[in-house]
Amino acid sequence: MTLALVAFLIAAIIPVFFGRIRSAPLWLALQALALGWNAFAQHNGFSIHALVALLEVLAVRVAIAPLLLRWAIHRRAEPNLALMPSNLFVWALAIGLIVLAFEFGAPALIDPLALTLGVVGATVAMTLLLLSTNDSPPVQLLAVLFMENALALFEALLPEPWPLLVHGALSVIYLLTVGVGSWLIAVPDAPATDEPEVEEHA
Amino acid sequence: MSQADTFQFNEGRSVSVRYRWPGHMLVVVALASLLLWVILFVRTPLTELPWYFAQRFFVLDATSMLFLLVVNSVFLGISVYIASRVRMSRGLAATALSRAVLTLAFMVAMNVGVMANNLLLLWAFIELTTLCAAPMVAQGEGLAARRVAWHYLLYSSMSLALTFLGILCLTRSAHLQDMEINFAFDAMAATLPPVGDNWQHLGLALMVFGLGSKLGLAPLYSWLPETYEAAPTSTSALLAAMQFDISVVAVFRILQVFRAHDTGFVLDELLIMGCLSLTVAAVQVMASRNYKRLIAYACVSSSGVIAIGLSVGKAAAYGVVLYIVSNAFVKALLFLTAGRLRAVYGTNDVKALSGVIRVLPFSGLLFAVGIFALLGFPPFGGFLAEMLILSGIVQSGNLIAFTLMCTMLTIIFVATGRAIFPMIWDASEHPGPLLKENWGTALPKLGFVLTLVLLGVYTPAPISQLLQQVAQSTGGQ
Repeated sequence: MTLALVAFLIAAIIPVFFGRIRSAPLWLALQALALGWNAFAQHNGFSIHALVALLEVLAVRVAIAPLLLRWAIHRRAEPNLALMPSNLFVWALAIGLIVLAFEFGAPALIDPLALTLGVVGATVAMTLLLLSTNDSPPVQLLAVLFMENALALFEALLPEPWPLLVHGALSVIYLLTVGVGSWLIAVPDAPATDEPEVEEHA
Repeated sequence: MSQADTFQFNEGRSVSVRYRWPGHMLVVVALASLLLWVILFVRTPLTELPWYFAQRFFVLDATSMLFLLVVNSVFLGISVYIASRVRMSRGLAATALSRAVLTLAFMVAMNVGVMANNLLLLWAFIELTTLCAAPMVAQGEGLAARRVAWHYLLYSSMSLALTFLGILCLTRSAHLQDMEINFAFDAMAATLPPVGDNWQHLGLALMVFGLGSKLGLAPLYSWLPETYEAAPTSTSALLAAMQFDISVVAVFRILQVFRAHDTGFVLDELLIMGCLSLTVAAVQVMASRNYKRLIAYACVSSSGVIAIGLSVGKAAAYGVVLYIVSNAFVKALLFLTAGRLRAVYGTNDVKALSGVIRVLPFSGLLFAVGIFALLGFPPFGGFLAEMLILSGIVQSGNLIAFTLMCTMLTIIFVATGRAIFPMIWDASEHPGPLLKENWGTALPKLGFVLTLVLLGVYTPAPISQLLQQVAQSTGGQ
């Protein structure tokens, strides 16, 4: 396993166990940084394609997305709770899922890239666990962005990196997702009311 | 003063002309777009299709032609409705420009996405339609609408992420067998490994599961009822009648590509999701007393019928295509009529609307017609389509699916009737003069009813051939 993959895995697992909502943007930025490092290493040397892909990751995933998430968290002004409930049952479940994710990639261990699969699997599992244990919108957005990073990491399993056009399209979608998502969650939830609002709808 | 009286008072004051132009712009664009596709359809023999363009990234074939005609027809109806409502509603006029821009962006993504000849491109356009629709959902009822819009975006993002994970698994499968996959639909089948390994199976299963969620299939369906209820009704109509179709196109494309491969387990997956959706919809319809929710759960049941029909293939394929086309018009008709009811009564509760036909005879009648079309009554297209699907299921010998589908559809019919019919025909709680109907909002609904009847009693030969060609492309007889 390369150092970049280790860094990605740490940035995906540690916050789930020990992180709090306000530290989420930092972990997201660290994870994206590891993703960029891994992608650059994947390109076998310097090329324009590698440089553009790295700049795209740095600009969109390391800088803009965490900043937007931070803005949304600040606007919501929620208590700084743990990302995942701290109890033995959830911890055991999380550890079990991580082990299972690496077991999933085990049959292909002869492939040098197979451990990447384990890291992707573990990140996806942590994402789903976050979504099932915490219904706070900032945490849900963080989970979506972790999932998107895991998908981007999966690209490392492909023989050739995708063309820049595909990278660009994925980046635009990622940016729109984080932009629209942050805008939607930036306002605290309305208190529940039994009275239907009388207003016109088209 | 009753709510109905209040509304009548409000309707008398129309909105200043300077707020109306976004609505008119939508109508002009929708009309131009529909005309373009109708002219292309009339002037191009089906035998000349497919046409590839933009370096083969896009294709105009029977599937894209059919769905372009359907979504643009529905879009014209929704645009006329929005333009008409903007004239009468100050609340709507205030957001008309942003809504028109988002609706146009949504429509462009829909049109281009339906023509995509590349799996990744199609995936990107489905995601784009979601990103355009989420802010429109947030313009619904108060602050709660934002939360619902976020749930919608969350579910969509996760289900499309699963679909994308499926695409990556397919790529991994090809790589492990020393092949390079080509994501262009016309070339993809040839570049897939002839023998499907576990990666390919996992990829296909994930793609169908993710797209199934976009179709509102159980188990990942819970976003659908709350989104359709909270969103403004024109947005609900856009989502139910149009965004649904682009997800259907994606499922069709996958089935077309994998026709020659072993897809038995994917068909089983569709069958299970379809049966589960019908069961869930039947239970929820029994419990629901909110007419927008009832329509939403009926949409879940329709998705279930489509999934079961697709799992059967062959004899049911024509029925499935006809059902999908009919459903687009039924959902648009019902949501737009529900919008009128919501505007008058200010509530979605069926109890508050008792005797709606005595206050709003035209809307009440249209709502009743829509419900009958939704429940699969003749002479509407849905009736013929359901009969064809049921006959296909019997021919395939899957009697358990046949029994389950008949039972659940009967439960849904009884439960919907129990909730909706008193709402339409009971004594009115707001007796008074009849409310005036606006032709601008009525016209598109009449067009939808006419189309539904035509689909049921007389389908012109070119349309019938188009439906048949699409059915054959997905494995139909």
